[in-house]
Amino acid sequence: MRVVVLWCLATPLSAHHSFGAEYDGNRPITLTGVLTKIEWTNPHSHFYLDVTDAKGNIVNWKFEGYPPGVLYRTGWKKDMTMKPGDSITVFGWRARDGGNWAHSREITLRGGGKMFFGPPAGTGDGGTTPAVEVR
Amino acid sequence: MRAFLVASIAAMALCPLAVSGQTAPQRTAGAPARSSVPRASDGKPDLTGVWQGGSTQRGTWDEANGGVGVGGTGRNPSAPVALSTNDRPSGREAAPYQPWAAEKVLEAFNRRGIDDPTTFCLPAGLPRTAILGLFPQQIIQTPAQIVILYEYMSMFRVIPLDAKHPDDLIPSYMGNSVGHWEGNTLVVDVIGFNDKTWLAGTGTFHSDALHITERYTRVDKDQIDYEVVMDDPNVLTKPWTLRSTMMLREGTRLEEYVCAENNLDPDRHEKLLKEGVDFRRQ
Repeated sequence: MRVVVLWCLATPLSAHHSFGAEYDGNRPITLTGVLTKIEWTNPHSHFYLDVTDAKGNIVNWKFEGYPPGVLYRTGWKKDMTMKPGDSITVFGWRARDGGNWAHSREITLRGGGKMFFGPPAGTGDGGTTPAVEVR
Repeated sequence: MRAFLVASIAAMALCPLAVSGQTAPQRTAGAPARSSVPRASDGKPDLTGVWQGGSTQRGTWDEANGGVGVGGTGRNPSAPVALSTNDRPSGREAAPYQPWAAEKVLEAFNRRGIDDPTTFCLPAGLPRTAILGLFPQQIIQTPAQIVILYEYMSMFRVIPLDAKHPDDLIPSYMGNSVGHWEGNTLVVDVIGFNDKTWLAGTGTFHSDALHITERYTRVDKDQIDYEVVMDDPNVLTKPWTLRSTMMLREGTRLEEYVCAENNLDPDRHEKLLKEGVDFRRQ
């Protein structure tokens, strides 16, 4: 029997757009605040967080993540898993333009549970190796 | 910690999978028994079901993806391990582009995929739509035709069996497909593409001469081996072959996906470019 060894791969994501172009994987950020709004929309969901800065000012941050179908299939329930008014902590990466928005990855929910709201850094930006050989 | 992460990444990206070079899967001494391949009423392997492309994990969608988050290891949320359909998996041969075309592909890579056609909610084309893992696809099989429904971009393919391509094709994103059975393998011939999609990786453009041949082989209850050969003499030096797997996701249903609902990305990309924000690799 001839046996061919294939190198299989981690599950490829879709890439509606490049997270790596818009967000800087070298600028991780963790913020705790109060959830003010969630947009369960395609092609990406968003939520907004009131965060109190060092001077006591409240700044509203915007976070981007997976589309609703992807969230649903990995255990998120609309209007149940997290709701406006909840205090949550978000880990993600800041937008390259320096604004108050970021790409979300891990959410620490009100009850302490952790779930992923978005993909890892750099998703959709081409990875570590181009499709073609570089001479 | 770093070594652990590297090991995790390697394990995710490089899992050796031995498959038979013959059409029918063979058992070897000591190898675990594979579940049998479901058969349709006409005796052909039945591909019917909801599948996750590009995965090697057995189980339900949640079992295969829920704990780790789609595309991640789940061990460290900052681990940049995700492969997307824009990534070239480790160990995979380089795409055989002609030199001038390879330069164009490399430029798109250095621009971090900001030129991805799907940014505008356009269909992802083939084989990209077939190998992505973020969204499920559903195969419906009859003796006369195969239908594949893709949640991503709400696309579909109707694949008549033992039929010829029409001679009045309109160039399209998903092309025109006809299929036939070769033993236990469904072979699908696809032509009639436009030139507006990427094949499998950032910048992997093609011309409207693209000709794709797919081979779907259900090797057991849970797994379809997927092989695709892409031929485009206008941009490639030779046919380009990729292999992947599709895993059965019992209990998963396709959801609606209306990409234009809240697509903010074209404007944001335009703003990045206009303001000269540095996002290039080099």
